Amino acid sequence: MAVIGDRFVPTIALEGTRKQRGNLTQARIRWMILAVVMGLGLVSGRLVQLGMIETDTTIEGQARDVITATRPPIMDRNGLEMAVDIRVPSLFAEPRRIIDVEEAVVALRSVLPDLDETWLRNRLTGDQGFVWVKRELTPAIQDAIMRLGIPGIDFITESKRFYPGMNEAAHILGSTNVDNQGIAGIERHMDSESIALLQELGLARGNALTPVELSVDMRVQHVMHQEVLDAMTRYQAIAAAGVMMDINTGEIIALASVPDFNPNEPASALVKDTFNRITSGIFEPGSIFKTVTLAGSLDAGAVRITDEFDARYGVRFGRYTIGDFHGKNRILTLPEVYKYSSNIGTIRIMQAMGKDNFREFLSRMKFDQRVDFELPEMRVPTVPNTLSEVGAATASFGHGLSVSPLHMLTAYAAFVNGGNYISPTLYKRSIAEAEPLYERVISEETSAYMRYLMRLNAISTGGSGSQMNRAAQGYRVGGKTGTAEKVVDGRYSSNKVTNFFASAFPLDNPRYAMVIMVDEPKAENPQSGTTAGWNAGTMTGRIVQRVAPMLGVAPDFTEMLDQQIVPPEVRRIFPEGY
Amino acid sequence: MIRNINIFLLCTSVAMLAGVYGLKFSIEGTASERTAIAAHISEQEGELSLLKADWAVLNQPGHIDPIITRHADVLAIGPVQQEQFGSFAALPMRPAAPDTAAMDALFAAIAEGIDPIDAILQAEGIE
Repeated sequence: MAVIGDRFVPTIALEGTRKQRGNLTQARIRWMILAVVMGLGLVSGRLVQLGMIETDTTIEGQARDVITATRPPIMDRNGLEMAVDIRVPSLFAEPRRIIDVEEAVVALRSVLPDLDETWLRNRLTGDQGFVWVKRELTPAIQDAIMRLGIPGIDFITESKRFYPGMNEAAHILGSTNVDNQGIAGIERHMDSESIALLQELGLARGNALTPVELSVDMRVQHVMHQEVLDAMTRYQAIAAAGVMMDINTGEIIALASVPDFNPNEPASALVKDTFNRITSGIFEPGSIFKTVTLAGSLDAGAVRITDEFDARYGVRFGRYTIGDFHGKNRILTLPEVYKYSSNIGTIRIMQAMGKDNFREFLSRMKFDQRVDFELPEMRVPTVPNTLSEVGAATASFGHGLSVSPLHMLTAYAAFVNGGNYISPTLYKRSIAEAEPLYERVISEETSAYMRYLMRLNAISTGGSGSQMNRAAQGYRVGGKTGTAEKVVDGRYSSNKVTNFFASAFPLDNPRYAMVIMVDEPKAENPQSGTTAGWNAGTMTGRIVQRVAPMLGVAPDFTEMLDQQIVPPEVRRIFPEGY
Repeated sequence: MIRNINIFLLCTSVAMLAGVYGLKFSIEGTASERTAIAAHISEQEGELSLLKADWAVLNQPGHIDPIITRHADVLAIGPVQQEQFGSFAALPMRPAAPDTAAMDALFAAIAEGIDPIDAILQAEGIE
């Protein structure tokens, strides 16, 4: 030590030991700060990086929520499900994770043989993150594909709409597409209202959605559907339809039109002639329109119910003469004009009112605009803006203008409910909710006349509604037949007809109105005819007989009930009332 | 002094670390349990939706009606006819007062051993 110490000059300490140590500590602290800053920089850098990443949650351009979005169940007025959501598996692939495309194609086609091979191969090739392979499968197929064990193939649970009533309420419910969006009927209307917004906000998930309650009664709907279907075979008709409405609230109780479709297979709705004849079919209504003419003329005070009209000779317009079908060729009172469905008498009643007043009354009854209704399938009626003398004459008995059966139904409802027009609805509505919507179109008094006339037509001998009343004895039904000749090659054909029966029951205290339509019926047997009384009329009777007990209308054979709706003035001409 | 504090702090941090580590693992366990339950619930909801749909199908009038028609002969049932309905007005009114004299006579007769119903039953050939 001493030797070494001797050889070297002792270090000249410029700084003291304490200072030296202090410098060292400071350097260490600097290094530490640098390390910490770098560490923090690394962390924040990673944070920024993570924040920049946009995770792709869409499925082929659609948000995942939209795919799994549910729709509220649809119930009938008694709480029976008309449409529900079921969860079904849908098959998707992640092409970027598929190792052997060929193997996957062969394996998938062993379970789903209807997939096109080239299409599937193109579908699975590439580096996309998500492609649909097949949507809405059954749990059994899901199991089979799971067992194949192909990597990059998986399932997602989707909501699918299911209609347990099958065809029965097809035209009311409409249908949904594969993305669970309404494409027709009330489903489409619901979308335009609020569901679309809910789904967009991502709220329409799970089973928490409040069910939508319709005004339809599935029991009545079943009877209506069965009867219109029966009419297709019984009368070999090309189409048949029927609709029933609560006259006080405007609620549609049943609405059926055949040919129809199965809403569970939306493609079946594309078949020709399956359109909804009640709302989107417009027809010449024929004699059921006489009720409108009589109501208008009676309400305007142009005719009184006891007036008489000369129906001995046809009404001449230039070269044309309009006569009666099975004419009585005598002077008829107003109730007889209605009962025997006299064209001549109806023209005279319209003429007493004046054609312009008549046209104005048609507007008041909203015959020249679409009915305010939820279903999107609607057609604008064709009613001439101004009526010529001949035009007004033919219009008075329902020719030369076309309206939908729904127009006729709302008009009949207004005629029997005391004269208040109420727009029909498919949603539940109480009388208290409906009353503010009432629009007075005819007076209480005229409404009472119309109830009497409709009942007279059913129970009086020779009345065109007597066929109908046979089955529905005791339910106090009344109505009017209408046999409208179809235009074939520019002229009216007498063997191609559209038949209607518009009715209301029970007429001593009316609650329901109904319109039945049969298109191009043939005679059921050689003894029967093709006019409306034989088909649309008897159908109405059968329907009322079955549905009246369901709707809480008890049969009553008391004669007094019919007698009390006879207006006192009528007693002067018919002392016995009918 | 400082040394003791350091040892104490070291021990505490080791204990805390172990605690946090344990907590993390238990939370992970709970989370996976929760995921499993959620998956199970959604699976059952799917099954429930199918069962509900089944129930709705079975409840449809359109489903029940053919069954009734098929068994109409065996069960002797048919659509209700108007004549089958009664009304409250058609029910006979209750008698104004009970017929005490007739009741007394009946009880006296039974006490003596004469049962008026017996006579009817014998006349009908029952027993």
